[in-house]
Amino acid sequence: MVTPTEPASPTATSTRTEPSPAQPQSSPAAPCLTYQPNVDICDYGTEVLLVTDMPGAKADGMNVSFEDGVLSLFAKVPPRTLPGRQLGHEYGIGDYRRSFRLGEGFDASQISAEYRRGVLTIHVPRLAAVRPRKIEVRPA
Amino acid sequence: MPIYRSMPRVGVNYPLNELRDELDRLWTSLTTAPPLHGWGVRPDSDLFPAVNISESDDCITVEAELPGLDAGDVDIAVNGEEIVLKGARPETQLLAETGAAPGAGNGERHASVTWHQRERGAGNFERRLVLPTGVDASRVEAKLVDGVLTVICPKAPELQPHKVTVRTS
Repeated sequence: MVTPTEPASPTATSTRTEPSPAQPQSSPAAPCLTYQPNVDICDYGTEVLLVTDMPGAKADGMNVSFEDGVLSLFAKVPPRTLPGRQLGHEYGIGDYRRSFRLGEGFDASQISAEYRRGVLTIHVPRLAAVRPRKIEVRPA
Repeated sequence: MPIYRSMPRVGVNYPLNELRDELDRLWTSLTTAPPLHGWGVRPDSDLFPAVNISESDDCITVEAELPGLDAGDVDIAVNGEEIVLKGARPETQLLAETGAAPGAGNGERHASVTWHQRERGAGNFERRLVLPTGVDASRVEAKLVDGVLTVICPKAPELQPHKVTVRTS
């Protein structure tokens, strides 16, 4: 089982979750906030897939680590500003951070990750011994 | 799907309202896919994608976050002062099958997937924006990089500020 170490905050913006309701509104001039990205966790039997929305991040600014049963994700987002005066501001820009606790039966040494189209996908394979398998029944 | 819609929803005489609302929310999360913008409860977050808009002397810039989409997945239509962003965001398991999540396997896994967490949304979207001024549709440029769409809309020439030279008599 893979579970987020913290529940999704109830105050979410378009594709990400605000770090704290008390945090000041993000602005292009202050891209220092850290957001909790939305995640889908799909179990395919042989592996679990974690798919997280991280638009604006770069692959070389990401850090995926596993320690003490916790898978931690961090993505640095380069600041970006729109030219001229702001007419509408519906989401903030900042780094992404989230962590997940992995249960037993996963092969941590084989965890892999790809980043494409603003989506970070992490593959967490199960240990061969616990993978579901079909057992052939032979005629006696 | 609400559990008990016949119960009154207002008034201080119903201390279990909050509990019932929480059960409604939990039940909804178990029976439906998340909305496109995720499971946020911000009242004005129903619109997808969220946009940031700015205006400079010569253009209007619209930026939207569209993670998971390719350039060909988004249609942008500009007509005078209106811009429409339209497209579809694929389901996570479809992303895996079509290669957006490389190495995730083949179509057979679609039937066997089990969801442990589902916060990202999927499906068709259409966002219609009315800009503060007319733009030159023939010169609109758009790019989609790392899930961030940027649309640069040059203002119509007759609407751009121009300097008036004062001649001496």
